[in-house]
Amino acid sequence: MFIDWQDKLKRIGNRVALFDIPIAMHCHHYNINLHKMLEDILGREGVRLMYNAAEESNHTAFKIMLEEYQRIRSDKSKLEFAASIYQHCGLGVINFQDVGPSGGRIISPSSHHVTGWLAKHGLRKTPGCHFTRGWIAGVLEAIYDLPIGYFEVTEMNCKMMRNPVCEFDVRLKRGQHGD
Amino acid sequence: MAIDTLKITHAIMEGSKIRDEKGIIPLFGVYLSLYFTSYYNIVSFDFLSGMGKRRAEEAEKLLIGAAQECGYTTFHGIRRSWEWEELVQPMLETVDDQIEGFLAVATAFGWGGEMEVIDLIPGHRLRFRVHESYESAGYLKRREIAEAGKCYMLRGVAAAFMDLLYGDDYPDGCFTFSAAEPFCRAKGDTFCEFIAEKSST
Repeated sequence: MFIDWQDKLKRIGNRVALFDIPIAMHCHHYNINLHKMLEDILGREGVRLMYNAAEESNHTAFKIMLEEYQRIRSDKSKLEFAASIYQHCGLGVINFQDVGPSGGRIISPSSHHVTGWLAKHGLRKTPGCHFTRGWIAGVLEAIYDLPIGYFEVTEMNCKMMRNPVCEFDVRLKRGQHGD
Repeated sequence: MAIDTLKITHAIMEGSKIRDEKGIIPLFGVYLSLYFTSYYNIVSFDFLSGMGKRRAEEAEKLLIGAAQECGYTTFHGIRRSWEWEELVQPMLETVDDQIEGFLAVATAFGWGGEMEVIDLIPGHRLRFRVHESYESAGYLKRREIAEAGKCYMLRGVAAAFMDLLYGDDYPDGCFTFSAAEPFCRAKGDTFCEFIAEKSST
């Protein structure tokens, strides 16, 4: 899929925008500092906060982007577009090969957060891609035109724990769909 | 030679479009990501809410500290990078010029629109203004007018700039300085202003 990156990532005055949505460039030091602070200080609540923040911001942004790129019609094309944005934003590589409106599995062989975490803190004993989990939830909810909170994304394997890839399980959130 | 902010901005915009086969952007000695400012604002302001009023001061210190440690490490890496050596170093005539270089990088990163140094007393005090801080814009969008400054990331970064220039050699100089934000758009001021001075503790 071709995205005119020169046109879509640009400066508006002194601000930086992607598809006219304000963005900031941050390095792994800041992203991982925020991650560790949230985990250390708030525990599970902090992990959830990070997940929810990524889910909400991604859902909102992808709604706007897909609205603008209306020629991307099929779900497959929308997933390719999402993977392309993930890569162009320097967030890593993500493969949406086995996912649909009722959930599925997603693989990420590399990511900014994994690389950043390993560089700063080394291996973890628990999965650590909370940002990516929220990112996936938000983008899938936008693609399938579902509300925020519809999916729950769990990380089954994580490169921060020396697994070969990060693997995410996407399911409908319990208690929200009559189950 | 004056600092050519446009040249630095252009280099960062071009550099940020280069990612390796793993989808990672290595630039200025760090791994860079581009992401929506709304994410960072939700994290900061919901963290403050999550900590509650009783722990508000601690929460602010943590947010500022996270940014200061990051700013210290990141800009240390930046000024040791080949990009800085080739692009920015030739523009620097004095140690103090580095502040202008740092602010040009921060502007290019999309942290706050136009940034201007108001005064710098070498080794003692830095005062600069930011005209479109994404933190203040995000706060106003999500909350009501604030009673105090809300640009925690920029406060930490302001102090980090002084730590790098006038603190002990890396890595011992972090937290030598601390910064206040007497003016902030989130509380109705027309700009955000940061003053970094030697920490009292």
